[in-house]
Amino acid sequence: MLEIKPIFNALLRSKVGAVLLLIQIAITTAIVSNAAFIIKDRLDYLNQPTGYEEENIFKFNVMTFGTDVDLIQQVDLDEQMLRAMPGVVDAVQISAVPLSGGGSSTGFRLKPVPEKSKSVNASYFETDEHGLNTLGVNLIAGRNFTEGEVVLNRDYSKFPKVALATKALMDDLYPGEDGLGKVIYMGDKPLKIIGVIGMMKGPWLKIENRKDKSVLLPLVDPRKLHQFLVRTEPERRAEVMKQIENAMHTNYSKRVIQDLTGLDVKKADYVAEDRLMMRMLVILISVLVLVTALGIFGLTLFNINKRTKQIGTRRALGARKSAIISYFVVENSLICIAGLILGVCGAVLLGQQLMSHYSVPALSNLYVAVTAIAVFLMSLLAVIGPARRAANIDPSIATRTI
Amino acid sequence: MFSHYIDLSWRSFKRTPLVSLLMVIAIGVGIGITMTSLSVYHMMSMDPIPEKSDKLFAVQLQSMDEGESWWSPDSMPYQLTYRDTENLLNADLPFKRAALMKTGFSVHLNSDKVKPFLEQTRVASRDAFDMFNLPFINGGVWSKEQESSAAPVAVISQSISKKLFGTSNSVGETFYLDDLSVRVVGVIEDWKLHIKYFDLNNGSFNKPEHIFIPFSLIKANEIDTWGNTNGWKHEPVKVFNDKLQSEKFWLQFWVELNNASEKRVFEAYLENYIAEEKKAGRFTREKAEYKLRDVNQWISYWEVVNEDNKIMVALSFMFLAVCLANILGLLLAKFLRRAPEVGVRRALGASKKQVFFQHIVEVGMLGLFGGVIGIIVAQVGLFGIRQSLSYYDALANMDISMLMTAPLIAISACIIAGLYPAWLVCNTTPATYLKTQ
Amino acid sequence: MLKMNNISKMYQTEMVQTHALRDFNLNVEEGEFIAVTGPSGSGKTTFLNIAGMLEPFTGGEYLLDGIDVGKLNDNQRADLRNQKIGFIFQGFNLIPDLNLYENVEVPLRYRGIKAAERKRRIEQCLEQVGLASRAKHLPQQLSGGQQQRVAIARALAGEPRFLLADEPTGNLDSLMARQVMELLEQINRDGATIIMVTHDAELARRAPRNIQVVDGQLADFTLYQGNPNMVVGA
Repeated sequence: MLEIKPIFNALLRSKVGAVLLLIQIAITTAIVSNAAFIIKDRLDYLNQPTGYEEENIFKFNVMTFGTDVDLIQQVDLDEQMLRAMPGVVDAVQISAVPLSGGGSSTGFRLKPVPEKSKSVNASYFETDEHGLNTLGVNLIAGRNFTEGEVVLNRDYSKFPKVALATKALMDDLYPGEDGLGKVIYMGDKPLKIIGVIGMMKGPWLKIENRKDKSVLLPLVDPRKLHQFLVRTEPERRAEVMKQIENAMHTNYSKRVIQDLTGLDVKKADYVAEDRLMMRMLVILISVLVLVTALGIFGLTLFNINKRTKQIGTRRALGARKSAIISYFVVENSLICIAGLILGVCGAVLLGQQLMSHYSVPALSNLYVAVTAIAVFLMSLLAVIGPARRAANIDPSIATRTI
Repeated sequence: MFSHYIDLSWRSFKRTPLVSLLMVIAIGVGIGITMTSLSVYHMMSMDPIPEKSDKLFAVQLQSMDEGESWWSPDSMPYQLTYRDTENLLNADLPFKRAALMKTGFSVHLNSDKVKPFLEQTRVASRDAFDMFNLPFINGGVWSKEQESSAAPVAVISQSISKKLFGTSNSVGETFYLDDLSVRVVGVIEDWKLHIKYFDLNNGSFNKPEHIFIPFSLIKANEIDTWGNTNGWKHEPVKVFNDKLQSEKFWLQFWVELNNASEKRVFEAYLENYIAEEKKAGRFTREKAEYKLRDVNQWISYWEVVNEDNKIMVALSFMFLAVCLANILGLLLAKFLRRAPEVGVRRALGASKKQVFFQHIVEVGMLGLFGGVIGIIVAQVGLFGIRQSLSYYDALANMDISMLMTAPLIAISACIIAGLYPAWLVCNTTPATYLKTQ
Repeated sequence: MLKMNNISKMYQTEMVQTHALRDFNLNVEEGEFIAVTGPSGSGKTTFLNIAGMLEPFTGGEYLLDGIDVGKLNDNQRADLRNQKIGFIFQGFNLIPDLNLYENVEVPLRYRGIKAAERKRRIEQCLEQVGLASRAKHLPQQLSGGQQQRVAIARALAGEPRFLLADEPTGNLDSLMARQVMELLEQINRDGATIIMVTHDAELARRAPRNIQVVDGQLADFTLYQGNPNMVVGA
C-alpha cells in the first residue's frame, strides 16, 4: 500500500480516536486469548473420557433404620433381586461412587507401615466380585477377584489379600514394570494385584494426580447408610430406576431410599461450577467482540463524517473509489496492528497473572496468535461498511461552500 | 437550570436516537455483566453474622508430628480430634464453646403418618444456639444435665416441625432418628445462611441442618460423621472407640471471645493444654502451634470465594473498560458534531462552565439509563446462574446495596468517560463554528 | 482542447425538475485564461463540477483532449481527473492532518508516481509558489493566502492540462488576493490553461477571456487582448 506513510503521520497528528480504538482492541485481545484458553481447558476437563457408560449406570443410597436385620445378608438379598430385574446388566453394593465427588482415598505404599516407603494417593472402592462388571470397566491384564476372595466384614478380623488397581496407579508405584502380580500396601496390609484396570476415573475428577488412580477392594462392609450401583442395558435405565424404591421397600421396609440418580447426572452436578464458568466466559467474549466491532464501526463512521470534505477533495484530485476504501482499511489496520501488539503483550501478562494466582495452566501461544488474527479480521469486517460509504461520497462536495 | 439541562439532554438523545441507543446499550451491557459477577462475589464474601463475626473464633490445633503437612495454606488441619474436642469443651473456662459435627439419619415417626426421609443432622454442644444467634420459637436448648447424661433430645427447625407434626408447637413430641427415639425440647426458626461458615468442609454454600442433637450422643450412641474424616498417620480403626481415641480429625470447634483480653486468656489456656498433652505423648512438635480465626478470617482462609469468581470479576471490569472506551469514542463523535450549536450558545452568552455542565448532565443521564438497563441485564445473568447451580439460589441475587451500586457505577463511569469530550467541546472558539464554511 | 457541445444538467426531485445547465456550448484552446462569472444560482458551480468531471451531465457531449467523457466509467473519470485537471478550491481544501509536502503529494500518489519523481515535482512546485521552506508545516500554521498557494502547488504538481479554479480568492483579503492572482497570471504566462470561476468583477477583468453563465446558459464576451475598456456582461 503506497499510502502507509502519510496515513501513519496523519494518525499521529490526531491521536484521540485512534488511541481509543487501540485500547479497545488491546483489551479485547488480552481477554479473549485468555478466556478462550480457559474455555478450552474446561472443555477438555468436561469431556475427558471416564471409562464408564454413564447413561446406563445409576446409583442410590440406602439408609437403614430398622435394627432387626443383618446388613450383609440383606445386601446379598438386595443384590440378587436387583440382578434379576429385567433390563439390569449387573448390580452391586459399593462403598463409593465414581465421578460423584464423594468417596475414600488413602496412600498406597511399596512397604508396610511403619517402614519408610514411597506412597501414592489413590481412591478405593470396597465391593464384591460384581463390582468390575457393574462399573463396566475393562481389565487389561489379569483377572477379577472370585467370590471366595471377597471378605465379608463382620468383625474386622479379616482383610482382603488381593485387589484390582488401575494402570495409572501401578505405573506410578512400579514405574517401567508390569503391575500385575505386584504387592502394594494399604497401611500395613498387603494386597496382591491380580488384575490391572485400563481406564477408570475415581470420585474426584478435579484432583489431577488422583483421578486416574483407583483400587477395587474385595470387601463387603455395609453401614446403615450404604450405596448401590446398577448398570442397565442401553435405553432401559429410566424404566429400571422407576421400580427401585418399591422393589427395595418390598425386600425390607425399615429403610429410606435416597439420591436415586444417574451417573451422568452425578457427574454433571460435580462439574456444574466449571460448566457455568465456561458458559459465562463464552458469553463474555462474544459480547466483548461484538462491542469492539461496534466501536470500530461507530468510530469509523464518525471519522468519515468528520472528513467528508477531505474525502470529496481526494476524489476530486483523482482518487478512485477503491483508493478511498483502501485508505480507511489501511488506517484501521495500522491502529489494529498497534492495538494487537499491545494486546498480545497484555494477553501474555494476563496469562502469567492468572497462572500464578489461580490454578490456570500456562497460556498457549497458539491461542494468542489465533485471537490476534480473529480480532484483525473482525476489525476489517467492521470497517468495510463505513469505508464503502465513504467511497460513495460525491466528489462535488469539494466545491460546496457549506 | 438543572432541569433545563435535563430537558436539553433528552432532546439531544431524541435527535440521534440510534447513537444514543447504542451508547445506552453499550453501558448497560458493560454494567450488567460487571454487576452479575460482582453480585455473586458480594454475596459470597458477605459477612454471614455481622453482629458478632469478630467474636466467634474457629479453633485449630497442630497435633500432627513434625514433617507432616496438610493441604491448608498454613498446613494446619481444618478439624479437631475427638479427644481434643471433648477436652476443650469440658475445660473450666468462662467462655461459650461449641463442638459441632455433621451426620444424618432417616427420620420417621414409626408409623405410616409421614413417609420416612433422610435428613442431615447437626450434632452440637448446647452453647451453639446462643453463639450462632439461633432464635427459639418454642421451648429452648437442652439442659446441662441432659447434655451430660446424653439424653436423647433434639432441637428442630420450624420446617421440620411442620413436616413431622403439622405445627411449630411440637415441644414434647417424639420422633425417630433411625432407631433412636428423640424428644423435641425446642423449635428454632429455620437457619438462613448463604455461607455455612461454621462447617465449610462439605460445600460452603449448602444449607444448614434442621435437626440438632447433643454432642454427648456421639460417644453414647456411637454416631459417626457424615462429613470428612482425615488422618495423617496409620491408625487401624476396628471399633468406634478406636476412632474416638485416634488422632483423626472429624469435628469442628468454635469459641466466643468478646475482647482482646479474653482472647489472650484462651490462648494461654491452649498453650497450657498442649504442654499437658505433650506429656501424654501427643503434640510432638517442639513449638506449640494453634490458631484462632474469626468468622471472616475463617471464610477467607478457606478461600470460599473461589478462583473462578475472582477471575470473572476481574474480566468483567476489563470488559467495562472496553465499553467505556467505546462510549468515549461515540461521545466525542456526538459532541463534536454538535460544536456549531455550542458555538451559537457561546455566542449568545453561555460560559464555558455552563456548556461543560450541560454536557456532563447529558452524560450523567446516559449513565442513569445505562444503569437501569444494566440492572435488567444483571438480573437476566443472575437468573441464568441460578438455573445452572442449585446452591447459587441464595447467592446469585442482587441485594439493596448491589441495586444501588449499579446505577452509581454506571453514572460515574459515564461521567469519567464524558469528561474529555465535554471539556473539548466547551473549549472550542465560538467563532470557528459560526461561519458558514 | 476542451469542448462542450449542448451540455445540459437536470436535477430531478419528487415533483420538480431543475435545469441547472441548458444547451451549454464552450470551446477552450490551450493556453487560455478564462474567467467564468454570473449571478449566484446561475449554474457556475454546476459548470465547474461538470468541467472537472465531479458530476455527470444529463445531455450533450463533453470532449477533453478528444476523449468523450460521457462514455467513461467512474474509475476512468477519476484517472482522467487526476492526470488532466488541477483543482484550486475556494476553501483551499488542504488536508489538515498532512503537512504541506504530503498535501501536495496526494494527487501524485494516486497516479502511482515513484517516490523520487514525486519528491522532485513537489519541491519544484513548492518553490514555484514560494513555500519550499515550510514544507514540513501543517496547513493550520499558514495564513489563508499561503494555504491557497499550497493548493496551487498541489494543482500544478500533476502537470495537468488545465487548472480549474473555484473562487480562488474568495476567502482572502485584498492583498493576498492580489498575490494569488499574480501567481495565476504568471503560471498562465508560463503556458498553463486556466478556467477560473469568480464573482469578483475586478478579478474577472484581469482574465483575457470572460464567459458569463446566466440561467444555465452561456454568454461569451471575449475581451480583445489587453483592451480594458470593454465592459464585461450585465
